[in-house]
Amino acid sequence: MSGKFPLIQREDERDVEVNWEDQQRINQFSKLNVRLERLEDSYKTQKTEKEYLDDLAMEIELLDDEEPVPYRIGDTFVMLPLEEAQERVEKDKDTIDARVEDLDSQISAIAEEMEVLKKALYGKFGRAINLEKD
Amino acid sequence: MESNPRGIPKSPFVDDVEAYLKTDTVQATLNKFTEAVSKYKYMENSKLQQRLSLEGKIPDIEKTLSMVGFLIEKRGSDEPVKTLFEVNDTLFAHATLPPTETVNLWLGANVMLEYTLDEARELLASKLEIAKNNLKDTVEDLEFLRDQITTMEVNTARVYNWDIKQRRLATATAVAAMPAPAAK
Repeated sequence: MSGKFPLIQREDERDVEVNWEDQQRINQFSKLNVRLERLEDSYKTQKTEKEYLDDLAMEIELLDDEEPVPYRIGDTFVMLPLEEAQERVEKDKDTIDARVEDLDSQISAIAEEMEVLKKALYGKFGRAINLEKD
Repeated sequence: MESNPRGIPKSPFVDDVEAYLKTDTVQATLNKFTEAVSKYKYMENSKLQQRLSLEGKIPDIEKTLSMVGFLIEKRGSDEPVKTLFEVNDTLFAHATLPPTETVNLWLGANVMLEYTLDEARELLASKLEIAKNNLKDTVEDLEFLRDQITTMEVNTARVYNWDIKQRRLATATAVAAMPAPAAK
């Protein structure tokens, strides 16, 4: 049996029937849980990527503007004038900022929905249900 | 039987355990549920693989697309572009690209085809779109499967608990029916 639904203890036993609505709440909760995990993963990677780009934007300022910069596009490095490279870094930064922000708002929306579901489910089933992460 | 857009069957929800168990024994029902869960898990696994491969494919297409986009940007100028291109993981060589109008796209199955830049961009963009849609469907399927697995697990727990309760009641009735022990 899944760890999510441990056998109920005798003292916690309640005669509460699970109806279709409860089932859907439980399903939704479990689904959101998985979704949240994935979003948090990509949030982490995007966040690191963003930090790299921020550092890069600082470093690139210090470069000699006579020298072309090898800038990676796809699998190839293209020699770009410094100015053009800077423009591209700025553009990348904007893209990733938008992505991080989007992920962040998705994560908080899901966390909110899960809180509501949690309240409803604990309200009905009390200790007969366990919705906490291990 | 109800199913999702990709034909994955929906699991039954047990509304009333007692009524549900009218037709089958507890053990047979539990076995049936376990079997359904393992089928769903099997499907989940193959969908997970699919997701992984799509998640690898999408950045690949994006990379190629960004290169084509770059070539399109440079199309107008007559200055050649200096590049370092990858020969192997750790080996790069210098190459100079004269302004170009066409690229060769690797289509797979040992076929490479020459496209004009605009055609290449169009083709890649449509491939990207398809891959993204596939990924969306796959994630949808995975969530659907999660729903069915959860439903079956809850079903299992409820049938199991119902059975324990029946046994307890039976024991209690039997104890009550026994003659009271004689007082000392």
